[in-house]
Amino acid sequence: MLELQIAGRSFGQPVLGEIFATIERGDRICLLGPSGIGKTTLLNVIAGLDKTIPAEAIIGREKLRVGYLFQEHRLLPWRTLNANLQLVGATSQEAEDHLANVGLKGYGHYLPDQLSLGMARRAALARCLAVRPDLLLLDEPFASLDPVMAGELKILIAGIMDVNPGMAMICVTHDGGDAEILANRLWYLDGKPARLQWDDRIGSEPGLIDGLLGRLRRLDLAGS
Amino acid sequence: MSKLSGRPPAWSYWVVLPSFVLLWGLIAWLLESPLLPTPLHVLDTLMRESASGELWHHLSATLGRVIVAFTLAMLLGTAIGIVMGRSKTTNALFDPMLVLLLNLPALVTIILMYVWFGLVEVAAVMAVVINKVPNVAVTVREGAKSLDHRLEEMATVYEFTRWQRFRDVWVPQLFPYLMAATRGGLALIWKIVLVVELLGRSSGVGFQLHLSFQVFDVAAILAYSLAFIAVVQLIELAILQPLERRSSRWRHPEAAHA
Repeated sequence: MLELQIAGRSFGQPVLGEIFATIERGDRICLLGPSGIGKTTLLNVIAGLDKTIPAEAIIGREKLRVGYLFQEHRLLPWRTLNANLQLVGATSQEAEDHLANVGLKGYGHYLPDQLSLGMARRAALARCLAVRPDLLLLDEPFASLDPVMAGELKILIAGIMDVNPGMAMICVTHDGGDAEILANRLWYLDGKPARLQWDDRIGSEPGLIDGLLGRLRRLDLAGS
Repeated sequence: MSKLSGRPPAWSYWVVLPSFVLLWGLIAWLLESPLLPTPLHVLDTLMRESASGELWHHLSATLGRVIVAFTLAMLLGTAIGIVMGRSKTTNALFDPMLVLLLNLPALVTIILMYVWFGLVEVAAVMAVVINKVPNVAVTVREGAKSLDHRLEEMATVYEFTRWQRFRDVWVPQLFPYLMAATRGGLALIWKIVLVVELLGRSSGVGFQLHLSFQVFDVAAILAYSLAFIAVVQLIELAILQPLERRSSRWRHPEAAHA
């Protein structure tokens, strides 16, 4: 449903190299790689936020609805959660339903800054769902959450993907364990400029991803 | 204590100004000069003008000009400020012009408008607007420069309409700057309006000051000035402060939930 033909992206020096990939409905991609390698940059390109990348480089995006969970919640702090969700097209009742789906039933009249970090992130996730996305982009959704909250959010996201089999997901993370729970496909971004060093489907054998990541990281060491 | 609690005691607002009025009364009583009337005399003049209807006629004429000029200046200045704050090229193109207008004396604009367009209402209001627009534009430009790019990206991803972006993303962030422009604007505009009226209108507080000046009627000058200061203060208390409280409520949410 989406085809990437990215020629590269540089900020003074090249950050992203050539990236070719296709994303199909039902793909649950975990995007891994060393920190600072350009994972968020790639996500922004896919979301169409990078104006230096021509629109033809991401074929099929105009027809897709995209829900983007940023690292910060990026809800409007001067609007209630309900109003924030209504701004992306939900009705008031739909907004309450989406909030209830992420465990925030009855929180519609709260302001984002009245919530804890974990709750605010779930509210932002509710906003992603409110646009009925074809493609869900998640940027480090578990960062700075305690293990219990991170675990709950993982199960929540996996559940959402199960309910919406036609939806695709790209989730940036640095933890192979996240991929084991969430992903059916793995992207590994590395190199200078960064390219997709690995793009393949993964099964559910335990330990597979850790072993794979170990090999990929050693590869990086040997190459440098 | 008051330093710690951050809120000064209520009586502290009622010390300096009343003392000043008392001092004024004392000096006026000692001098017994018509050039420095006592506060009571000024109040008496104010009552007389009010009873005759003169005060209300001129006050409303001035207030009308202030409102029209203020509204036009805020709309124009905000639009220019946003465009200049968002686009570096536009800013570079128009910045020298803005500096020129900022430093153009109010009196020059007023005279030029009257010379070119005659002693008419439109020329008067236009002169005030031209004086005020650069101030608003400069203030709003600062706000537009500091708009949060993270919320801009969010608005782009979620395909906000132009109107949504303006009303829900920009205005709340620009609000403190708009408020500063409003406060400064109101004070500046009514002072310029008086000059405009003094030079070329036959109604308004400025016109009345002109008449009083010709006969050295200091009591009337003070009465009219104080009346208009009271009007501006009323606008501050009845409109601006409630608006500010309402719009910045989100900054101090009650009882954070965690």
